[in-house]
Amino acid sequence: MTSPRAPRAPRSWLPLGLLLPTVVALTVALGYPLTRQVGLSFQEFGLAQQFGRPPEWVGLENYRDLVTDRYLWLVIGRSLAFCLVNAAATMAIGTAVALLMRLMSTPVRLLVQSGLLLAWAMPVLASLTVWQWLFDSQYGVVNWLLVRFGADYEGHAWLLEPMSFFFVATVVVVWMSVPFVAFTVYAALTQVSADLVEAAQLDGAGAWQRFRVVYLPAARPVLLVVALLQVIWDLRVFTQIYVLQQAGGVTRDTNLLGTYIYRLGIGGGDFGAAAAVAIFMLALTVVLTAPYVRMMLSAEDES
Amino acid sequence: MRIKTTVAIATMAMLALSACGGDDGDDEPTSGGATESAEIRVWINGPDTPQAARDWLKETFEEQHDGSTLVIEEQQWDGLVERLTTALSSESETPDVVEVGNTQAPTFTAAGAFADLTDRLDELGGEDLLPGFVEGATVDGQVYAVPYYAGSKYVFYRKDLFEDAGLSVPTTMDEFVETAIALKEANPEPASFSGFWLPGQDWRNGVSFIWDAGGDLAVEQDGAWQGALSTPESIEGLETVQRLFQEASGAAKDGNEADPQTPFCNNEVGMMSAPGWVRGLIEDPETGCPDMMENVGVFALPGSDGEPAPVLLGGSDIAVSAKSEHPEHAMDVVELMLSDEYQTIFAENGLTPAKMSLSPLLGDDEFAQATIDAASNAKLTPAAPGWAMVEGSRVLEDLFVDIAKGGDVAELAAAADERLDEELAR
Repeated sequence: MTSPRAPRAPRSWLPLGLLLPTVVALTVALGYPLTRQVGLSFQEFGLAQQFGRPPEWVGLENYRDLVTDRYLWLVIGRSLAFCLVNAAATMAIGTAVALLMRLMSTPVRLLVQSGLLLAWAMPVLASLTVWQWLFDSQYGVVNWLLVRFGADYEGHAWLLEPMSFFFVATVVVVWMSVPFVAFTVYAALTQVSADLVEAAQLDGAGAWQRFRVVYLPAARPVLLVVALLQVIWDLRVFTQIYVLQQAGGVTRDTNLLGTYIYRLGIGGGDFGAAAAVAIFMLALTVVLTAPYVRMMLSAEDES
Repeated sequence: MRIKTTVAIATMAMLALSACGGDDGDDEPTSGGATESAEIRVWINGPDTPQAARDWLKETFEEQHDGSTLVIEEQQWDGLVERLTTALSSESETPDVVEVGNTQAPTFTAAGAFADLTDRLDELGGEDLLPGFVEGATVDGQVYAVPYYAGSKYVFYRKDLFEDAGLSVPTTMDEFVETAIALKEANPEPASFSGFWLPGQDWRNGVSFIWDAGGDLAVEQDGAWQGALSTPESIEGLETVQRLFQEASGAAKDGNEADPQTPFCNNEVGMMSAPGWVRGLIEDPETGCPDMMENVGVFALPGSDGEPAPVLLGGSDIAVSAKSEHPEHAMDVVELMLSDEYQTIFAENGLTPAKMSLSPLLGDDEFAQATIDAASNAKLTPAAPGWAMVEGSRVLEDLFVDIAKGGDVAELAAAADERLDEELAR
């Protein structure tokens, strides 16, 4: 920060004008639903209100009911655990694939990248249908293969027990998110100068040390951002859980925050309580991501 | 480091969008919005409505309304309550005409989701319409939905497998349970073979055993609805269900009852309780196995007293969305759907027509007899205004899967009652 300040340009409205569309878009796209959601969470709002009956203001009642319900805390704990496990697994596998891609010959790398892109581009519901078929208890390929290898998996219901349900969900979610991480991290790794790597190698740094001391610091900002996004995405995971619940398993034992809000509101017709849970979820997201954001901001200050 | 700054800004924007985006993951097919002023959208659920009826409806309507088009959008029964809740309340998204399960209709009727049909009731069939259906959709003397078809489930069985095992068609509930278990024992291979096919989520079949034992799902007491699953009678029924799950059924313990023809055609089923139109799916070379039809017999599930057991009165209502932009056109569609021509197609496909005067069209074969027997003792789900919310929150699916897993019936029933009380109190 020692560079001399440029002479101050004459005051112009241009920067403000350029910012304006973004600000307006954000206000409309985020402000309205957010205000509405906060309002809803203080109302008793059911199916009849959805069709035009005026809602009743109930103050903090929705929140009081929720906080005293053990089930909410159970779902929050479950969502947090699911989110952290999935984000960690996705980051680890994605980074590993990115590192691997650096070492591949071009044709192989293109093949891997095409595969990753296909997985990434596949519509969620379409790929979920396939996953569901793979894990089908009666006709699924997974059971068939396991039986072939002599395991006792004939008619095994993968979604029946919550832990097994979340295992399948984790496989699906990680499978869908790895390509994004792999590509982004790979892009960051290509920015690491070859000289630096070579110098480290000459100094006798092994593969692990090169990763820790050369690659990791260089890719840190990108890794932070990607990890942050993963945490957010995995906390609000919905489609995968919802579809798997329709296919099997016990809904109440496998609800995460997303599906809980949906069951409460759209399924059970209690939009007020659902909005209140959504506020919890928002708060949780902010708390969970605050350290990351702070780290990123301080990293920016340093530079 | 300009890149860092850019990344940080992009992240903040994405963070804001991601965190507040809410649940937009449910990729429902939505129409591209109303383009033509007289495009009428009709929601029909599942494969129940025969293709011939769909074609006739579209053709006839478009003939009678020059320049208008009719679009049939098939919805899945699974998750219908949620879809109706969101779609019907939005003027731009609402379909004009919707089919809704007869047990789900009262909730939407009470909430004001449907247009008043009272004025057109006589043209739609009036006194000739199936009575239980019209009552369920009446609020303060005004009628908001009319029956579409009825059809209670009856038992499909394999004559050849019965013969091989030396079994005969059961005539009481006890005999039925014994037969189901004996069939399973006589066919140890494959492990997924079912003497009686009962997937874990299938409470709509399971409720018959509760009713037969004298129990119920919920009862009204002093004007308030309460869960009744933990009464001694209901528990007795649920214990029979658990026995069937564990000793007679090879179906997935957490599966749902969609596509019963698949395991049936795969030689994995001795008996299954299914709606009459499943016959059409078995006969269809694409979805089923027409060759097997000669071995297929049917009978109405027998009750403890030897009469047909109480089964869920299946069927649908048809209604016009209160927010439809073309209510007149929509009502014309409803009128066509209740016309004798359209309903005759239903009768020919084994569905009980919405008009009583047309029921002789069902014929007098084994299938017609089973249809009539099953309907003779059919019951509705509790008439509580919040019943669709019970279905939407999947309390009963959860209960039955837990029972299939082998949990303690009395404990599970008591817990389910608590949740029913909660949903019904809304």
